Amino acid sequence: MLNYTFHWNQAFKALPQMLDGAVVTLQIALLSMVLGVALALALTAFRLSGSRILRGFATTWVEIARNTPALFQIYMAHFGLGNFGIHLSPYTALLIGIAFNNAGYLAENFRGALKAIPETQARAGRSLGMTPIQAFRLIVLPQMLRVAFLPATNQMVWAILMTSLGVTVGMNTDLAGITQELNARSFRTFEFFALAAVIYYIIAKLVTLAARLVAARMFRY
Amino acid sequence: MKPSVLAFSLLAATALTSQAHADKLDDIIASGTLRCAVVLDFPPMGARDESNNAIGFDVDYCNDLAKALGVTAEIVETPFPERIPALMSGRVDVGVASTSDTLERAKTVGMTIPYFAFEMAVTANEKSGVKSFEDMKGKVVGATAGTYEAIALEEQVKAWGTGEFRPYQTQADVFLALSQGQLDATVSTSTVAQANVKTGKFPGIAVVGKAPFDIDYVSLFTNREEYGLINFLNLFINQQVRTGRYAELYGKWVGGEAPNLAVNGVYR
Repeated sequence: MLNYTFHWNQAFKALPQMLDGAVVTLQIALLSMVLGVALALALTAFRLSGSRILRGFATTWVEIARNTPALFQIYMAHFGLGNFGIHLSPYTALLIGIAFNNAGYLAENFRGALKAIPETQARAGRSLGMTPIQAFRLIVLPQMLRVAFLPATNQMVWAILMTSLGVTVGMNTDLAGITQELNARSFRTFEFFALAAVIYYIIAKLVTLAARLVAARMFRY
Repeated sequence: MKPSVLAFSLLAATALTSQAHADKLDDIIASGTLRCAVVLDFPPMGARDESNNAIGFDVDYCNDLAKALGVTAEIVETPFPERIPALMSGRVDVGVASTSDTLERAKTVGMTIPYFAFEMAVTANEKSGVKSFEDMKGKVVGATAGTYEAIALEEQVKAWGTGEFRPYQTQADVFLALSQGQLDATVSTSTVAQANVKTGKFPGIAVVGKAPFDIDYVSLFTNREEYGLINFLNLFINQQVRTGRYAELYGKWVGGEAPNLAVNGVYR
């Protein structure tokens, strides 16, 4: 028989604390997405450029970000850099680790989205008298963002869930950090983790819903 | 029915029903294995030697307990935050893991009488300028999540109102961060601090003084409702002290005079 009596009231008493943590989680996820998109656009540009150094750099970044565990990336940002004397706070290390990971995945998304747009679009733009950069900015880029939007939303939800890895680098103000601390004090593991899971689920669903509304508005013809 | 048949069937019925409820003590003896939760990044209570075998005061204590029960010991490694969850999920039978006997934990697990006592010391990064407990005010400090000293240190940081507290998941991570300078100081038991400074694996740290927290008594723990096993463990701890084995193990792993395990003026 289950050797455990549930004490749900203890978990609900801690709800305000956990909601404060949820705000910090959302904050980190949003910042890391903004950074990730900016870096991914740069990486995509590097990938398409003629310079071998830039292409090699971008490919290395994408390969490492996509093929190693996010936990390692975050751990390296805190302890790995710390070995060289660069001290990043747990918040910053988590942010940089997730942004690194996001940039890698989003760069692949953008590359795929770019391939989905036929070359004739850019050529039609040039034939109308636009410069290459104008053709890219006004014709290709909006279409590319449209195709890449839903995969990017996926990555945003993934970033929210990845913030939970911050506990390994001493992060104690986000949702997972607060939950782990409450758990370590009282050992009501099941109650606290179940409640935290529900909060993560709600946050992820809200973000997906918001993204769909934005998509409906922004991508109207 | 013949009286002898009736008597025989009653005897058979009682013999079968008497085995219906067996407690954990019986289960351990019957299974032949005692699974202990032990923390192995906490020298000298638990650590790994060069051939990666588990060694330490807690490891020897678990082996003694298994011998007293007449079974073989199985050391199950658990990091600090995992000790009690391992018991609650049935992965271990007993915790021989330097677990402080706090009231909060006693609500969930059954704690025995103390089997060891720790004093808290402040370990600091040499470049941080922390030379005593009071110097930690306003600095970045940390400890292992879920331990007695981490909870006490976090309350102290909140009371001071300045400075930052970071909980790491393992003792090894805390010392790594301390050695890199990401933490200015930490509070840990004097034994683990001295052991880690001696190994030289974490350069740049030194023990700088005592922390004014109460003496940390640690107990064995098991399920709250297993009174049979808890009574046995209590007597076992008493016998370890009586026969001189406690003093012998303390001299082997820590050195010096073994601390008194009784609190003056109150019964357990």
